[in-house]
Amino acid sequence: MAELALTTVRYHKIMQVTTTEIELKPLPGDLAIWFFIFMELLVFGVFFIIYAVVRLQHSDLFNQYQLTLNRDIGAVNTLLLITSSYFVVRAVDAIRHNQTTYCIQWLYAALLAGAGFLILKSVEYVAIFSDGINVTTNTFYMFYLSLTLFHFFHVILGMIILFAIVIKAKKGAYNADNHIGIETGASYWHMVDLVWIILFPLVYLIR
Amino acid sequence: MKRYYNVHMIWGVMLALTAATYTTGLVDVSGVDVVVWLLLASLIKGSFIIRDFMGLKGVSLLWKVIMYGWLWSICIVIAVTYSISL
Repeated sequence: MAELALTTVRYHKIMQVTTTEIELKPLPGDLAIWFFIFMELLVFGVFFIIYAVVRLQHSDLFNQYQLTLNRDIGAVNTLLLITSSYFVVRAVDAIRHNQTTYCIQWLYAALLAGAGFLILKSVEYVAIFSDGINVTTNTFYMFYLSLTLFHFFHVILGMIILFAIVIKAKKGAYNADNHIGIETGASYWHMVDLVWIILFPLVYLIR
Repeated sequence: MKRYYNVHMIWGVMLALTAATYTTGLVDVSGVDVVVWLLLASLIKGSFIIRDFMGLKGVSLLWKVIMYGWLWSICIVIAVTYSISL
């Protein structure tokens, strides 16, 4: 009888372990943001594919004018966006531990890095536009300007979202039990970083 | 290994990969192997962002397929179109 009981206990333990393993984690943040992220990734994905296909027919042109781009700024901007994304991860982690002050500080740091990205990007655009270059100059610049400007505005929107989260966090709206808003904003910000991770080598480096 | 695998290490690896790809761009080399290396670096960084920064480790298979599928399909299309253009 004792042996049967032991086997039953062991069986339940195994079943318990197996059921917890299958348990799926919910998506971080609001479900709606993930559909929005999915749509944005689709649009950028189509953009990237069109760029790659058009480059097929104009590779000499693309290779020639790619060299006019400021790869230093492109690389620093990649470091800034990755770092900003890391700061947002730290902010989410802080609020999950009820550390609101740290959360706000990490979000400020993320906003600072984001601002750095926008400033450097603007410096790049000023140099290009003052050379008389615009979307009609040639096919490469049409793609370069429309792709990076499109991403530029996504960075601005992302920073507006993060700033709105900071204001709410300062009012005590978030804590360890209630921080979906922060996770939602964080997911969007990571998407902006994810897009740049493809855009930078595609436009600045691959030749 | 788990002890070292955290967001801080991931951040460092992504910065290092970015510096390495930037250096590749500086030395002005081209060719399929260079493109594969640059896209591989993007795949690694993209996977880190999806898995560890976005926190999609352990979520439903559907969303993993959507996010990683996007990353991989874009990189594959870029690699294929590039190799055709040679």
